[in-house]
Amino acid sequence: MATPTGWASLCDKFRSSLSLSTVESKKDPENEPYRSKYSARELLEEIRQLLGSEEAGEAEGDEAAARLRAARLAVLEYELGVNHTDTQERSAGEEHLVKCIELLQRHRLSRDCVCLYIQAQNSLGILWSERDDIKTAQTYLESAEVLYNQYMKENGNPPLDPNEHFMAEEERLTDQERSKRFEKAYTHTLYYLAQVYQHLEMIEKAAQYCHTTLKRQLEYSGYYPVEWALNAATLSQYYLTKQCFMESRHCLAAASVIFSQAGQAPSAEDNETEQDQQDLCQRKAEIARCWIKYCLNIVQGARKLLEDNIGELDPDRQSELKAQRKKEEDEKERGRKKAVLFGTSDLCDSILAMEEKVSCVFPLDFQEAREVFLVGQNYVNEAKDFFQVDGYVTDHIEIVQDHSALFKVLAFFEEDYERRCRMHKRRVDMLEPICADLNPQYYLLISRQLQFELADTYYEMMDLKVAIGNRLEELDSHTIKKINSLAQLAIKFYELFLDSLRNPDKVFPEKLEEDVLRPAMVAKFHIARLYGKLITSDGKKQLENMQTSLEYYTFLVDYCEKHPDAVQAIETELELSREMVGLLPTRMERLRVKLSSFT
Amino acid sequence: MASEAVKVVVRCRPLNEREKELGSKMVVTMDSARGQCFIQKPGGLDDPPKQFTFDGAYSLGHTTEQVYNEIAYPLVEGVTEGYNGTIFAYGQTGSGKSFTMQGILDPLSQKGIIPRAFEHIFETVQCAENTKFLVRASYLEIYNEDIRDLLGADTKQKLELKEHPEKGVYVRGLSLHTVHSVAQCERIMETGWRNRSVGFTLMNKDSSRSHSIFTINMEIFAVDERGQDHLRAAKLNLVDLAGSERQSKTGASGERQKEATKINLSLSALGNVISALADGRCKHIPYRDSKLTRVLQDSLGGNTKTLMVACLSPAADNYDETLSTLRYAHRAKNIRNKPRINEDPKDALLREYQEEIKKLRAVLAEQMNANHLSAGLSHLLPPEPVQQEKPAPPPEAQPDVEAEKQLIREEYEKRLAQLKADYEAEQESRARLEEDISALRNSYDVTVSALEETLRKEAGGRQWGRTAPWATARLV
Repeated sequence: MATPTGWASLCDKFRSSLSLSTVESKKDPENEPYRSKYSARELLEEIRQLLGSEEAGEAEGDEAAARLRAARLAVLEYELGVNHTDTQERSAGEEHLVKCIELLQRHRLSRDCVCLYIQAQNSLGILWSERDDIKTAQTYLESAEVLYNQYMKENGNPPLDPNEHFMAEEERLTDQERSKRFEKAYTHTLYYLAQVYQHLEMIEKAAQYCHTTLKRQLEYSGYYPVEWALNAATLSQYYLTKQCFMESRHCLAAASVIFSQAGQAPSAEDNETEQDQQDLCQRKAEIARCWIKYCLNIVQGARKLLEDNIGELDPDRQSELKAQRKKEEDEKERGRKKAVLFGTSDLCDSILAMEEKVSCVFPLDFQEAREVFLVGQNYVNEAKDFFQVDGYVTDHIEIVQDHSALFKVLAFFEEDYERRCRMHKRRVDMLEPICADLNPQYYLLISRQLQFELADTYYEMMDLKVAIGNRLEELDSHTIKKINSLAQLAIKFYELFLDSLRNPDKVFPEKLEEDVLRPAMVAKFHIARLYGKLITSDGKKQLENMQTSLEYYTFLVDYCEKHPDAVQAIETELELSREMVGLLPTRMERLRVKLSSFT
Repeated sequence: MASEAVKVVVRCRPLNEREKELGSKMVVTMDSARGQCFIQKPGGLDDPPKQFTFDGAYSLGHTTEQVYNEIAYPLVEGVTEGYNGTIFAYGQTGSGKSFTMQGILDPLSQKGIIPRAFEHIFETVQCAENTKFLVRASYLEIYNEDIRDLLGADTKQKLELKEHPEKGVYVRGLSLHTVHSVAQCERIMETGWRNRSVGFTLMNKDSSRSHSIFTINMEIFAVDERGQDHLRAAKLNLVDLAGSERQSKTGASGERQKEATKINLSLSALGNVISALADGRCKHIPYRDSKLTRVLQDSLGGNTKTLMVACLSPAADNYDETLSTLRYAHRAKNIRNKPRINEDPKDALLREYQEEIKKLRAVLAEQMNANHLSAGLSHLLPPEPVQQEKPAPPPEAQPDVEAEKQLIREEYEKRLAQLKADYEAEQESRARLEEDISALRNSYDVTVSALEETLRKEAGGRQWGRTAPWATARLV
């Protein structure tokens, strides 16, 4: 062993090198960006040399001493490796890191070495990812993961932090601190693996590792509440794409709970600016928006399961699913849940309480759908509080569109046509004013979406009124008026949408862009249909309507003749239009005959 | 203005003196006629060169004048007519970006795109009759996701991005400067350029995080022949995109750049990692869009024209950067603004339709048969029974119906009535009923079955079991 003073100066040197590369290097001037790193490197090399020469023959034979010596050298190799990588000398960096690992190979499961070994493998993983060799990175990181698990199983005592190898006895860390640092290194392993899997397009695995990273951040208190909450909320949206509603809800509930903690504990300095407050409000609204999507997706998912071939609720399917749900409820879900639960016990309770507010299984009837709807609607209001139309037009409209979609999907579950119709009326009431206020020059695509949705909604309402009317003995003039006015409004909005496609000279394009082709064709088709639906006792008027209808059908047929590649997008509508183009003239002819025979 | 996607052209500069001295090899070749660009990996001569196709590929032989006339002219012309336009310039340091955008004065044919656009605009202003113009310029920088006014009183002040239903996206407090001439425009641009956070320091790693947007706002006030006023507004955005040396976020698209395969070290980027997992519609990803995307959101899609000019260096030692520029530019071709029209599949509607067409056919056909219309027509419109409870009655009673036909009809109706009773009794077994009905139809008239087949084909395999409750004949 070196003399105590010699050893102390070594430790000093090591400490300075650390401070140089982590603290000083941030202040390096632009034209010498690596100045401090280079100085740190010199120190490290110096220490390595001293260690090498002093102890060369001395420690042979003694297993513990050999391990200690290997560990110290490995620490230096590791630091040198990181130093070289940081200064864009990747090959040299790799050499040092590999050497570090070789030195530790035999002792990697010892308390002295395991943490360093994992850190070195992390660094090699990063290094190879920077060389665009993600497979090699994966190998290193997965091996770090395996080592962690093996160590925890076989030993489990808090291992030494690498820097402790260059610390005096009295400076050594507490077990608590050791454990914290070790777990942090492993958290990074998992986080890097998440990215590796993402790059390898193993998305499910990547999500799983992100989830675990979040979980560990929570366990080891290594997180900022707001950031954590936002990340968890974002992860919930991934689960939505996979229709994993339980996981999605869990993430959201955790996000809300953790976020509320952030709100309770204002920053210590208490000098929060208005901007910070604003940011906090925005993030809260963002989480609310993630909840909206959750509610919307789960009810929409249920609708998909329940609808029959014409888009109505299928009662057979409904009872089938209800029976099935009873059976499955307990077993499967519980097992799935255990693996992904966030937080320690008291946190867990808050999260569970939050979860209970909304179901995570498909709603199967109106009552259940309504409960989810109401939760969603609350979040709509919360999100709109922040994302007001003045200042946040796009966000605001997206939220309103979600609100409308919530009503729409709820209407599916409503049996009563009158009430269903009123739900659609609510949609119209929220969409129409926004659409009117929007400048299409800046919000063209959103305008189009709104126009189209409004047209569809009016159409839907008209259909419902027709259905209601058909149940009556005789169509009364009030209902007829209603039907006609709804049809006219639907036509108006389809026309507005179609007008938005015109070029600056107000000419309808010869060839439609791919992303508006189908909507445009469908709009034409629906208008044709709507003209056919208008009710009038005036024969001449009826003839006119039929003529207009025919023109729209003809447009579809002609367009597809000119642009055969369009056929694919609207096959069914085209077939029907062709038939109508064939049938309508005969019908009109007959009507004409009839009209003239009366006069 | 049909195309809503971004037009992308690439331009490759010649080898410079330094590269020639070093004996650098050219790795980029262009096929301008096809808009193709090829890049050969240095030393990897066995691999075929990578190929990219763009809306234009310009090389050494082309002047900026050509580039402007072919690609930029229609865009700027659109601006003078009241439509927004955006030109992005992209490319690593030393790839000839300034040469293309600012250009040189000698020869005149190499004058840059920016001065040409200014000239174009002011020419329009001077030549127009019965039209008044207000031309104002603004210049902002996005640096580390903070927006600053390069022409403002305090260029350090961070500005907020806001939206207004009538005005669109705007930067609150951004100064607007009225300009009357090309020279004034250039002067203002020059002033702003000097106020950027990042100068020309070579290899300054932060320079790649600074985007700048010079915007010309035009208000066009025209009086038409009938004395009517028209006010239109348009913007031309000239965007200098952060260099390709490093892209943590893509500038233009807002999609997160798939940074090759690099691992992000800092846990603070966990959010980015997670965001990248959840893609697709019907999701909400907080903070997904960069400021640049939001500033330009009304310029990416819709009635706007967007052009990206990606500049390339041909030298072998720039291979990696050039490839990354090409990839970026190629992705940019697919940039579209997010909103799409959500259209519900309307199965119910289509089905209802098919029912009605059938009915219509039947009604018409009956009439025609009765009227002894030509055989050709009746072949087109064969008689067809109606499976509805309430078939629309023939509008007019025909005087000369043959007795035999009447008999068949009565027989058919009797059986149909019986079937209807069955239908009520057997609500659940629709399929069987369907068979019965079609069997009945077959016996009624052979031609019907041929028609059935066509109809079924149209229905795309949809079942014919149940009628939507409101699809009755009443309103046909």
